[in-house]
Amino acid sequence: MAAPAGATVVAATPAAEEARLLRLEEQAEHGGGGAWDYLCLARRLRARRPAHVLRIGLALLNNASARSGLASEQWTLYEQVAVAAMDCQRLDVAKDCIGVLSKQFPGSTRVARLEALLFEAKGEWAEAERAYAQILESNPFDQIVHKRKIAIAKAQGDMSLVVDYLNKYLELFMADHDAWRELAETYVSLQMYKQAAFCYEELILAQPTIPLYHIAYAEVLYTMGGLENLQTAKKYYASAIQLTGGKNTRALFGVCLCTSAINQLTKGRNKEEEGSELQSLAAEALLKDYKQRAPSKVPLISGMLKNMKLS
Amino acid sequence: MGAECRYEVAQAAYVKLALHALKHPAAAVNGILVGRLVEPSSSPAIVSVVDAVPLSHHPHHVPLLPTLELALTLVEDHFASQGDGFAVVGYYHANPRRDDTDLPAVAKRVGDHIFRHFPRSAVLLVDNKKLEEAVMGKYRDPVVQLYTRDSSKSWRQAGSDGSSQLALKEPSTNVVLADHVTTKKWEKVVDFDDHLDDISKDWLNPGLLD
Repeated sequence: MAAPAGATVVAATPAAEEARLLRLEEQAEHGGGGAWDYLCLARRLRARRPAHVLRIGLALLNNASARSGLASEQWTLYEQVAVAAMDCQRLDVAKDCIGVLSKQFPGSTRVARLEALLFEAKGEWAEAERAYAQILESNPFDQIVHKRKIAIAKAQGDMSLVVDYLNKYLELFMADHDAWRELAETYVSLQMYKQAAFCYEELILAQPTIPLYHIAYAEVLYTMGGLENLQTAKKYYASAIQLTGGKNTRALFGVCLCTSAINQLTKGRNKEEEGSELQSLAAEALLKDYKQRAPSKVPLISGMLKNMKLS
Repeated sequence: MGAECRYEVAQAAYVKLALHALKHPAAAVNGILVGRLVEPSSSPAIVSVVDAVPLSHHPHHVPLLPTLELALTLVEDHFASQGDGFAVVGYYHANPRRDDTDLPAVAKRVGDHIFRHFPRSAVLLVDNKKLEEAVMGKYRDPVVQLYTRDSSKSWRQAGSDGSSQLALKEPSTNVVLADHVTTKKWEKVVDFDDHLDDISKDWLNPGLLD
């Protein structure tokens, strides 16, 4: 997002923030201060660096004067350290942190979530499920808890249960595009291509300018095979080419693959009216790109395109 | 046919596939095995696996058909042009979950696809737990499980008894692997997915194990 003209505060780019995080981490790990700044930044960026967060955060918690200096912020720190500890399988630390929080905030949903998360970390799936069900009773639209339930099914490798939970989740949170994508990918792993295609259709309708969805949809259609699916796949690869200004390698190859597969099916009988130009342009763009960025692969690519009768 | 065949995996192939799995610990990771049939007349016949081409990393599944076909064609063409008689002889797969030791249906499907080109093809499933142990120097045997296609067209795990059909060509391969892990070589592994995102990255991984 562009800052408004004349704005005095320049927002840091993600890369710059990342670099700052690593710098602070280095500093804090070597006792150079900045521990609290590091932990705040890690939270804000949602950076997953559990080993460092655990070490730095725990040192801060164990320092009574530093901890009381944080005043009410210390509870956030307990939460952060608990999560990092679970990531590192330091369940003893996690349990202590959660214990402190539960004493401070009896009946809190946020703490209840942590307690359930601890069951998960221990692999006690049934207890975790029960704990989440309890939270949902009083708060049926708790999005995080619904997501955790999907994660539990995933951790157990029960993909049909994952599909079940994802579908239920999407009934409540229909606009969650990541969840639609997750459902599509899960269907693909179960080889349920028709259902996967439906999810991608949904995503393309919701966000028609994201080339990724067009390509994923085309890939599923190509995998399903058959003349009609191949022709539709080619159209979606073509739209991805349009959306990316011809810069997407997958889409360029996709058009070539579809053309070749269609020709094989129709044995060249079914001449398409305007198609012939598209694939030769795609082949040309691919070759040009390889010449510039991967010259050693040019003979390989041009040989393959020749075999496909595209150049 | 599969039962009469033995597979010998060279260090380069084995280390590459292991590093690929280590690079993406929470993803399904897979790739293509390259080699050739040596001494087809001997009994059992021996398939020598000389190299591995990393294919993709994905949270749930193997690549869909377009990427797979593209990769197979390019890998096959590349090795054919080298003139050593090497071709695609199999496929490797690592599950996203650490304790999952089943070969998923999608992986079998890829195996079927390769089987049409090479009837003695092998599918290797990475055992994530054993891989961890091998990296820590606690395990000497191959950390992959061999699957071959039997006459009823299903993929069957090769016997885990002593007379294993699968062997590492160099006995100290796991030690070499552990060495490469300490120098963080896994960060540099490039697969076909990476290549399609940025074609200047080479899926042959030249110089990776030097």
